[in-house]
Amino acid sequence: MRHLVIQIFSFLLLFHLAVSSQAETAAQLIRQAMDNYRGLSSYSEASMTIHRPDWERVMSMKVWTQGLDKSLVRITAPIKDKNGGSLLIGDNMWSYAPKINRVIKIPSSMSNQSWMGSDFSNNDIARADEIINNYTHTLLETKKINNRLTYIIQSVPNEDAPVVWGKEIITINDHYVLLKHEFYDQDNILIKTLTASEIKKVGDKYISLKQRMQKTDHANEWTEVVTTVVKFNVTFNKNTFTLSNLRNPR
Amino acid sequence: MNTAWRFAWRNIWRNKRRTVLTMCAIGFGAALIVFSVGLQLGQYDLMISGSTRIFQGLIQVQKRGYLNDARMRNTIPDAQSLAKKIRHETAINDIAVRANGFALVSSKERTYGVAVIGVETQYESYVSIIPGLIKSGRYLSADNANEMVIGRSLAKNLKVKLGDELTILGSGRDGSIAAAVLPVTGVFESGSRELDRSMIQIPIKTFQETFSMQTHAHAIVLYHQNSALLEPIKSQLDGILMPMNENLVAVGWDQIQPGIKESIELDYSSGWFIYIILIAIITFSIMNTFLMSVLERTREFGIMLALGFKPLNIGKLVMMEALILTVFALTIGTLIGISVNYYFLINGLTFEGMEEIAAQYNMPATITPQISLESSLLGPVTILVFTLVAALYPALKIRKLKPVEAMRHL
Repeated sequence: MRHLVIQIFSFLLLFHLAVSSQAETAAQLIRQAMDNYRGLSSYSEASMTIHRPDWERVMSMKVWTQGLDKSLVRITAPIKDKNGGSLLIGDNMWSYAPKINRVIKIPSSMSNQSWMGSDFSNNDIARADEIINNYTHTLLETKKINNRLTYIIQSVPNEDAPVVWGKEIITINDHYVLLKHEFYDQDNILIKTLTASEIKKVGDKYISLKQRMQKTDHANEWTEVVTTVVKFNVTFNKNTFTLSNLRNPR
Repeated sequence: MNTAWRFAWRNIWRNKRRTVLTMCAIGFGAALIVFSVGLQLGQYDLMISGSTRIFQGLIQVQKRGYLNDARMRNTIPDAQSLAKKIRHETAINDIAVRANGFALVSSKERTYGVAVIGVETQYESYVSIIPGLIKSGRYLSADNANEMVIGRSLAKNLKVKLGDELTILGSGRDGSIAAAVLPVTGVFESGSRELDRSMIQIPIKTFQETFSMQTHAHAIVLYHQNSALLEPIKSQLDGILMPMNENLVAVGWDQIQPGIKESIELDYSSGWFIYIILIAIITFSIMNTFLMSVLERTREFGIMLALGFKPLNIGKLVMMEALILTVFALTIGTLIGISVNYYFLINGLTFEGMEEIAAQYNMPATITPQISLESSLLGPVTILVFTLVAALYPALKIRKLKPVEAMRHL
């Protein structure tokens, strides 16, 4: 009898260890994918296409990032919006409109509003670190896709996380490239999907150069970001992530 | 025939007290229902005019699909000239063009997301009471002026006063950044919490320039105080729009604010549930009276049958009595009901706690009953139908009478 109790107890202990180490693996994968994607610091140039059934708009932009919580986006084309942009530091986001020469702080209540009219929300642009800190991750499946080991991870926001999603399903390969990111609402309905393609080796790591955000219920509406230039581990002027730099580009 | 009516009339008054009591029951019921229905319909009129008058208008011309998917790109081209044409062809002057957008508006200290409405400054006061509800400063002066008016709660939240500049930041019709810096020239207080907290108005041309709209807009708003004219005006508008641009439609207030319509329908049907119960009670008491008057005259009917009256004719006689009594009572009751309605139409009706409920629907705190065919006749006619059906039972009972047995009846 006593033997049995010990057996059950040790089994539970082992099981618990297995579960927690598995959760750690999933969280680590996500963390590494984010680190891989953003690097310690990065500079990139990209074009963003917003597609709608009756029109299409293409914008060009430059992006600077440092760590997971600082980034600066500056629009270079079209002329009308040139030099406009956004600065993100942690939870804070500011937008600059050159036409009126003003910087506006975007309140956190607006984090689900569309960013620059695209299918990305302010939150999608801003909170790269949130998914690491405020979510619980579970490894759902490991399989081979295109000869690469691929992990499918379910990420559920913690009770107090300031997000609207019920869960997110993230697909990452063993090069730590995020291949797919699906956003489900609280009723478990798929709302939008981010798909990454054109995976290239840049320096010593792999990244995707094309990302498309697609809303589920509007097949003909999507936003695609194509990266044309990317450099990692760049050193920046310490003014880079400041409001004055957002306002007065050098 | 004439004799039969006279016969029936005399029969009614053979038992005066009973007749008068029955008539009182019917008349009181009729008066009560006429008054309640009048009050209900009057309240609905206030709800409709309250919700249409304040901002939304009775009818809006929109691009097809805008109602369900209010996107910046779903616009009416050359909206102002179309509005001019509609004013001309319908001879209705209370028409104004609007453009609707969403933007962040920020003061030095704070930022809020708000609805930005571009208005035709000259015409907006014809379709909305907001221009008349400016509590400080003044309303917008010209279609291309660099000005804005904002709701009082918003002004408080943003901590701005007259003359302070606010920054607007949003997306234009072409997806470009829409941005403007405009001074606050007026602060309105509509009484609607939502509007006062989350709406700013700017002149239409300023809006079109800021949001890259060219001459487009999102709605042509039409106001008419008589909501009963909704359908005729709508079809007149469709007649003007159809040949010009098949993508434009006229949308009624009931589609723009379906919540108001639904709550009216719900309230009306639950009201009628009570009325039907009331009418049923009246009906049973009348049925009792008729049955009594037939039963106590069994002997008399027996003699009539023996004299050669057909049972059908006697049944007819009883029905005539019922008809005369009911119509007589209903007429008096209805007249009383209408007079009460008329009294409150002149003097207004209010009761404690009314003000708070009324504020939710932007209604004044006094109700005035509606006097219309529907409010005055629907209740009485329903009572008439019910009572005549009730009178059928005693009338049909006569067919079973046998003359000899009936005559022996005491």
